Amino acid sequence: MSASKPGVFLNRETSWLEFNRRALEEAQDPQNPLLERLRFYCIFHANLDEFFMVRVASLHRMIEVGDNHPDPSGLTPPQQLDLIFNRVREAYEASGTLYSSELVPALAKEKIVIRAPGQLKPAQEKYVDEYFEKEIYPVLTPIAVNVPQPFPRLQGLTFNLAVLLQWESEKNGEPCLAVIQVPGKLPGLLRLPDIHALEMFWMSDAIRRRLSDLFPGYCLLEAAGFRLARDSELELDEDDRCDYVGMLESSLKKRRNAKPIRIEHEPMSPELLGRLQTAMEVEDQALFFTHGPLDPRPLLSIVDMPGYEHLRYRLQPPLLRPELEAEQNIFALLRDRDILLHHPYDSFDPVLQFIQAAADDPDVLAVKQTLYRTSGKGSPVVNSLIRAAENGKQVTVLVELTARFDEERNINWARDLEVAGAHVLYGLAGLKVHAKIALIVRREPAGISRYVHLGTGNYNERTARLYTDFGLLTAAEEFGSDASAFFNTITGYSEPPPFNRLVMAPTGMREKIIRLIRREADWACTGQTSEILAKMNSLVDPQIIQELCAAGKAGVKIHLNVRGICCLRPGVPGVSDNIRVISILDRYLEHSRAFVFSNGGSPEVYLSSADCMPRNLNRRVELMFPLQQADLKERVIRILRAQMTDNQKARILKQNGSYEKVAAGRSEPFRAQERLYLQAREERERVRIMTPVRFVPIEGSD
Amino acid sequence: MTASPNLLMAAIDIGSSAIRMDIAEMRPGGVIRILESLKKGVQLGRDAFTEGHLSQETIRAACEALRDFKKAMDAYGVMRYRAVATSAVRESSNSETFLDRLLTSTGLDVEIIDGPEENRLTLSAIMDSLRGESDLGKAKSLLVEVGGGSTDVALLTGGELQQSATFPLGSFRLRAEVSAGAVRHEQQIRLFKRQIAGFLSNIKRELEISDAQHYIAVGGDVRFAARMLDRSSQQKRLSFIAADAFSEFVNSLSLLTVDGLVQKYSIPYLDGETLVPALLTYLQLLKETQAKEIIVSDASIRAGILQDLAPAEKGKRLKKLAVQILSAARSLGRKYHYEGDHAERVREISVRLFDELRAEQHMTETHRLYLEVAALLHDIGLFVGSRSHHKHSYYLISSSELFGLRKPELELIANIARYHRRALPQRSHVPFMALERDERTAVSKLAAILRIANALDKDRLQQFTDLKVSREDDQIVLISENVPDLAMARLALAGRSDFFREIFGKKIILREAAKTQ
Repeated sequence: MSASKPGVFLNRETSWLEFNRRALEEAQDPQNPLLERLRFYCIFHANLDEFFMVRVASLHRMIEVGDNHPDPSGLTPPQQLDLIFNRVREAYEASGTLYSSELVPALAKEKIVIRAPGQLKPAQEKYVDEYFEKEIYPVLTPIAVNVPQPFPRLQGLTFNLAVLLQWESEKNGEPCLAVIQVPGKLPGLLRLPDIHALEMFWMSDAIRRRLSDLFPGYCLLEAAGFRLARDSELELDEDDRCDYVGMLESSLKKRRNAKPIRIEHEPMSPELLGRLQTAMEVEDQALFFTHGPLDPRPLLSIVDMPGYEHLRYRLQPPLLRPELEAEQNIFALLRDRDILLHHPYDSFDPVLQFIQAAADDPDVLAVKQTLYRTSGKGSPVVNSLIRAAENGKQVTVLVELTARFDEERNINWARDLEVAGAHVLYGLAGLKVHAKIALIVRREPAGISRYVHLGTGNYNERTARLYTDFGLLTAAEEFGSDASAFFNTITGYSEPPPFNRLVMAPTGMREKIIRLIRREADWACTGQTSEILAKMNSLVDPQIIQELCAAGKAGVKIHLNVRGICCLRPGVPGVSDNIRVISILDRYLEHSRAFVFSNGGSPEVYLSSADCMPRNLNRRVELMFPLQQADLKERVIRILRAQMTDNQKARILKQNGSYEKVAAGRSEPFRAQERLYLQAREERERVRIMTPVRFVPIEGSD
Repeated sequence: MTASPNLLMAAIDIGSSAIRMDIAEMRPGGVIRILESLKKGVQLGRDAFTEGHLSQETIRAACEALRDFKKAMDAYGVMRYRAVATSAVRESSNSETFLDRLLTSTGLDVEIIDGPEENRLTLSAIMDSLRGESDLGKAKSLLVEVGGGSTDVALLTGGELQQSATFPLGSFRLRAEVSAGAVRHEQQIRLFKRQIAGFLSNIKRELEISDAQHYIAVGGDVRFAARMLDRSSQQKRLSFIAADAFSEFVNSLSLLTVDGLVQKYSIPYLDGETLVPALLTYLQLLKETQAKEIIVSDASIRAGILQDLAPAEKGKRLKKLAVQILSAARSLGRKYHYEGDHAERVREISVRLFDELRAEQHMTETHRLYLEVAALLHDIGLFVGSRSHHKHSYYLISSSELFGLRKPELELIANIARYHRRALPQRSHVPFMALERDERTAVSKLAAILRIANALDKDRLQQFTDLKVSREDDQIVLISENVPDLAMARLALAGRSDFFREIFGKKIILREAAKTQ
């Protein structure tokens, strides 16, 4: 196939770095409210941390086991690492400059002051010193590094100080190296007493001020901060062709675990840096110098500090869908029509109420649900499920324990569910369950009814305010019976059946998507209208990319809205010139996945929990579902088109793999996330006005 | 809690390669709505058809599957269910242990059913799925279900069952027999075809299939083909597939190995094993008929069970079933060259007597049917020889397969037929004593009636076409206008009414019609 020629594929890692650069761009954008810029700055770094721990670590593993296969774009693992390191170095430069010469001064103007070490007022100095003596000093443990012994195991992502010392009595002796780990229990930023402004001081600076207290009898030559990132050690990266962690011999594994993937450091002398590097056995390219804070995570405490509303996005409280306004029984409502929710414009509350109603409704027989990432203990969804089980309903919950970094949080409330009598499944062997579905079985006078919620996002009311996601509430028979069959499949009660409506990965979703793309190409060949609108977080899967290119070549107009990684290079003449790719980064994290196929004039609309990545289509249980109701299809198409017209926060992917903001030109500024909220509000108002006022006289008793 | 008026039911079918369950509710108006369909692959057939008994692992897997099914039933509060096991369990030497293990570990009571009962259940579901297909009205249709261990074939004309039979030709059996020898894939396919061709001549010997106009197919493998060839078939009860398209599809599948099928269609491995042999069987049978298309019905044995379980429909269905059973009995009678006119007359007279006695004797519609079948077949033993022909009738009936009747029912009918002449039931008669007590009572009552009816047509003249039955005190009075001289009949009756009197405590009186006015 011509699409497989190097050229149409972009390297996945550099595409991800481009995505993160867009996050940094939002931090740089002076149009954005200051604290939101600071948030994007933090997100940029948090993303980068995970990228190193997962992706860079994975490339290292490939190299170590001698896998030198090039990726679809033709780059071998060492070539990819070189590219990554070069780009990341540039990004550090930009982010450091942004922090020190833009964000910090701008914050100071708003009376949010982060004091530099030499700038403390006398009262503050006193406060810091007292704090040091009472709170910090007792928990610090300096560790001497002696070369024949292994380097102390330092926790990843925390701030450490490297100190070069010399005995005061032995001024000519060899300087020795010591390390101080700043315990995670201490706040990263210390709030200073002040009545006029919010004044903060970095904990690391507080320690630095009193370093000599820690090394009595020594002469301090130099002290500088550094921070490590390690291989996350979990086989997090499911896209790899094999289990590299499993392949490594245990002795090798131990050594690599000790060895950091990355060291970020403050300015330090070549001698100190050299000694650190030798002690930890890392190569030059793993060293990253930054003049911003090494660990920016404490800055998030400022971002969410109460007050300062003028420095954040204007509040857009989620709205209740007008159909749900009348506050009638949700089950009764769904008997007549499906309801589509678009979070966070539409409130997530109806979903919570849906599960809650199931828990308390005496006619509900069973509740079944998948839970991937919830808000953890105290989650209203989990509480409802526990209550449902206590109320004697058959409750089946599939808890995905391998959801990244969430394991601990998951396990406790899962136990609570079990104690309440629910049937809890902890995932499937070899497959991560990423589908988002809830099923309620209810006994009604007319017989058994089934109510289903299907979504593109997690059952997490907190992220539902920050991520854009679609959800469908339906009582349609085909969905009900498919939902039952889905749960029978994942509980192992039954083999996967042929579904009526649902499309499931890894059994059939890839094939279905390909069939839909090819059908669109067939329409194009017969000269009919043919168009694909698709929105997702990542487009990586080579087969899907090739199919899209083939459809584009057949004449299908393809508009892709891919928030993160996109390995399809658009605009390659004769290959992908019919494909346009945009990415929107704005206040809400774009997270919904939707596919529209114009299908010769009778459009089909699918929503999905899956991205077009090999791991989603091959090794995860995912669900894609079609919208049946015409008005709902139209609404999704309208939303997708609105996003395609964004000229404020949308970037267009260029042929060279870089992104640039869509030029608004003379057209009116159009910011999709803002516009969609306004539209949701208008729609609600319209319905309110149209609802006739009822005059109900209150009669007094005679 | 809102009480739902709808009955919740479950039908479980333990087949050769899978255990399946449908949970359904009966809606007002007798509409059965399937709520959930579960399927779990268990290799019962592999054990049964190669080793002759079920292995411990297989039994464990079956218990596990049924335990899960039970949980799904409990979620709905299903109270009424029927669980049946077919050929694989039937043919296993340890089937009783197996059923006991199922009962103790799941609480589900599973019964083994034989070929005709299996046929009846499936056919009743197919008839239901064909409702409203007027095209199928008059023409002759061939109905085929290829299972793991057996193939059921039936002929319908004008919507009525003409003939049915079960052959030990199954997809699993074929696979097991062939893969023992053949190594190469093409060789295997050739051997499948040869084996099927062998059975085809057996089938054609028993059933006249060559002039069938329609070809109706049921079963999981052919449903798969229907899904692949007709993407919109998901919710359809019937799919119509052109014979050419079906043939092309089957041939393309036979090029793939089991692994290839599993990969290409993402189906369970067990399904991949049965698919090609089953579809080849359907195809070769199709080629023997006149049909231009294959009609795939979603009917299953489970749908038949659910219909049985639904109470409102039961009466209507039993009537329909009775017609099918009698037509199958006549077909058996013809096989043994029975005297059709005599058989029908005896049946008619028996029924009149039965209807008179029925209420006070607490006899049911089912007893009536047994009596009718026994009346139709009471003389088939003459095919073997006239001496002791009642005994020949007994074993011919009891060793036959009759559509819609289970083995124990057939045994009971055979006993009735046996006692239509000569010796009365005695403690020394092993087959009689092998019956349950209430069955023995039924046999005696029905045989007593049959004896009277048979006596009245002893001369084979079919004179008593207008027999009226009435009652005077403790006497049953039979009146006929047709018969001018009752002397012969009285003589015949004289020696044969003692048993009737002993059983019912009533005398039989034969009387001329009163020629008053």
